[in-house]
Amino acid sequence: MIPSNKPVLSLGSGLRWLFIAGVMAFLYLPIVVLVVNSFNESKYGHKWQGFSFKWYEKLWHNDALLEAFFNSLTVATLSATCATILGTLMALAVYRYRFRFRQSASALIFVVLMSPDIVLAITFLIVFMALGIQLGFWSLLIAHITFCLPFVVITVYSQLKGFDGNLLEAAQDLGAKESQVFRLVILPLLRPAIAASWLLSFTLSLDDVIISSFVTGPGFEILPIRVFSMVKVGVSPEVNVLATLLMLISLVVVIIVPLLLRRKT
Amino acid sequence: MKPRFELFRSTIILITLFWLGLFVLAPHVMVLITSVLSPDPNNLAVWPLNLNSYVNLWDSLYLNVFLDSLYLSLLATGICLLLGYPFAFILSRFSPLLRSILLFMMVVPFWTNSLIRTYAIKLLMGKKGLFNDVLLGVGIIDEPLQILYTEFAVIFGLVYILFPFMVLPLISSFDKLDRSLLEAARDLGANGWHRFWRIIVPLTSPGIIAGCLIVFLPAMGMFYVADLLGGAKNILLGNLIKNQFLVVRDWPFGSALSVSLIVLMALLLWFYFKANQYIQRKGGLDDDTLK
Amino acid sequence: MKLRSLLVPVLLACSVTAQAAEKLVFYNWSEYLPEGVLEQFTKETGIEVDYTTFESNEVMYSKLKLQKGKGYDVVVPSTYYIAKMRAEGLLQPLDKSKLSGLKNLNPALLDKPYDPENQYSVPYMWGSTGIGINTEALAKGSITRWADLWDAKWKNKLLLTDDVREVFHMALKINGHSANTTNPDEIRQAYEKLQQLMPNVLVFNSDAPREPYMAGDVDLGMIWNGEVIMAQEEMPDLDYIYPKEGAIFWVDSFAIPAGSTNVEAAHKFINFMLRPDIAKLCSEEIGYATPNLKGYELLDENVRSNKIIFPDADTVANGEFQTDVGDALKLYNDYWEKLKTGK
Repeated sequence: MIPSNKPVLSLGSGLRWLFIAGVMAFLYLPIVVLVVNSFNESKYGHKWQGFSFKWYEKLWHNDALLEAFFNSLTVATLSATCATILGTLMALAVYRYRFRFRQSASALIFVVLMSPDIVLAITFLIVFMALGIQLGFWSLLIAHITFCLPFVVITVYSQLKGFDGNLLEAAQDLGAKESQVFRLVILPLLRPAIAASWLLSFTLSLDDVIISSFVTGPGFEILPIRVFSMVKVGVSPEVNVLATLLMLISLVVVIIVPLLLRRKT
Repeated sequence: MKPRFELFRSTIILITLFWLGLFVLAPHVMVLITSVLSPDPNNLAVWPLNLNSYVNLWDSLYLNVFLDSLYLSLLATGICLLLGYPFAFILSRFSPLLRSILLFMMVVPFWTNSLIRTYAIKLLMGKKGLFNDVLLGVGIIDEPLQILYTEFAVIFGLVYILFPFMVLPLISSFDKLDRSLLEAARDLGANGWHRFWRIIVPLTSPGIIAGCLIVFLPAMGMFYVADLLGGAKNILLGNLIKNQFLVVRDWPFGSALSVSLIVLMALLLWFYFKANQYIQRKGGLDDDTLK
Repeated sequence: MKLRSLLVPVLLACSVTAQAAEKLVFYNWSEYLPEGVLEQFTKETGIEVDYTTFESNEVMYSKLKLQKGKGYDVVVPSTYYIAKMRAEGLLQPLDKSKLSGLKNLNPALLDKPYDPENQYSVPYMWGSTGIGINTEALAKGSITRWADLWDAKWKNKLLLTDDVREVFHMALKINGHSANTTNPDEIRQAYEKLQQLMPNVLVFNSDAPREPYMAGDVDLGMIWNGEVIMAQEEMPDLDYIYPKEGAIFWVDSFAIPAGSTNVEAAHKFINFMLRPDIAKLCSEEIGYATPNLKGYELLDENVRSNKIIFPDADTVANGEFQTDVGDALKLYNDYWEKLKTGK
């Protein structure tokens, strides 16, 4: 017997950490630039011109940017929630039931997963035009829900596959309806997958640029669209501030909330 | 277990089919149809049917963009893999806690919209940016380099934005890696290099292929990276498609370009499934031989 | 509990779609309005303004066309797009009785062929596209003409605006043709001329052409005069040249899309922008020339005498104002895509 803690393939430990540190530096370098520039007195961020909180104050008065930001949060929250609900149901349908077009349904989910954003953006634009849906809040929401769906379906489906089939059968033998089986047996077991899906959808929705820029319309501007013209112009200290704050908030939420939850249970 | 008619069951099947049909199948079919219509300045696309848009694709100019963006995306994918594979490998050797902390750290930058991060990269690359400052300071160069608005900048941006999409599938396939196989190989006297190439790489190949697909296809469409870091020239297929839809307003041609991407995707997926089948068959064989 | 947590997003959605009493969607060029103007308008009239921006006439036009003229209440197309959009029924006639500020405008910029009697549009700003040069890096006198940009020594060094008509203007002028030509041969010749220029191009930028100059990434290229004025605050070495072949002159105008649902508010807004004090503020802050004579008189003497903003009559006469080219625009656009695509 070989002790299993002995590395199977060994790399020098120092080398290993060096590599991880290098990759992390690569990932965080632009973030550091954003955070540092949010305190930079200079408007253009090409040079350091002294420490200042003025952009934080400016952001507070930049209604347009804040509105776009809240619109983004709204869309991300709603689309993550809807996508999680829809996706969970879809995964369940594909996993538990045999029906016509079941194969096609899973193929279509795969198509959404693999389609480049630009192709999805075009398809959405064309279908919204054809259906006469005004570009704006609803078009944005539908598009975001749809591109988040496959990630939910896959996450939930892979957890469903790990289930003990006997449990479900036992529930059914005891006379439970499908909806009861779902609510009382499946749903509680799926909780981790659902939480993960929601978080992933939320992240994807916040991060999207390509699809949003095609399907958004007048009167409902979200952050990336607002920022698109701003960043090219280079006048974006307030955007840096927003990014810094957003990251801070998410870190707090993701680190503190689980700690609180753990204490509760 | 007999299937029973149940409201719940039929509702969720109906919702599934409805949503996917309306917002996935129909739109893709419509793109296909649009691509064989004729462009019209007033109505976007009109009859009669024709294949002009597809003939246009073979214009050497557009063919070159296609090849160029294939090349850039391939390069970006390759670099992602080169960085992501060891990264995922090292992570998979760590304790679960350390691994989730590091994975979490990798995802955190993603809460900042990618456009904003791309802009930050732009600041780094300018003639007066940090990269040039460092290179000048160290004395490697005497004159600031033109980094921004080059293909290098575009590739850098693509790698940066898409890196986690490479790592996540890799991590999950490292998770499934059966350690006992590796231990057995060591017992049989295989050295590290041998174990890596003959066992680890083949067994994680589903993750490699999935990661590459998930990085490669979107890379061709990332028009904003080319806009910001590449100087708004039509470098990627995504720029071309976007301009056909929003500037030139030739929707049929734009759709034909998208269809070419869809076809490429279909080909790659077909390859993916074939490869998976092959690997599974091979994997099965290997299992037998090791037993 | 579960039910309630599901309700939250629904409520959120409702609050999003609920419309404020009076609202206005203003679709403008990016970087084309001083800070505070909209706030002042809202303060004075109580009308909320949704502000969105575009970076090219083409994108603005596409978005409007997609929405069939709906969704936006005030847009700012360049002159030649006014003619096009008017002809396609995308704009609605203005009610001049609600635009008391019209009398402030310079008659020389009104009643032009693109919009006789200004039935559909009111000028906001006029300006020019010329050559921008960083005099710290390059001697100012060394560049005088558009043709100088074709010099092979500028390989991978130039900035061009991301605007089809402006870029074609240079080549058409060098070839001795009108910048508003609709002759396919002349357009093709210009395209061939521009193909020779492409290796020199480092970047296309129409959002804020000043930015790459300020970042030190380019020292020479096309630029709008107002951008130079804005940049000079931080970069006094940036200078503007009216090329010998003739600069490009344009007028950007307010117009109301056919599908606007807040016509009343739109008129109020346009009239607000016609006020001398607002026109003065805009001209001062964003560096372009105001067509508003009353506003002009309010400007500082050193602004009024600044030849970059207000060129003398000869310079204007030597240049050419952009006008509508009708269906030839498609031809221009096709060549343009090819230019941006070629290596």
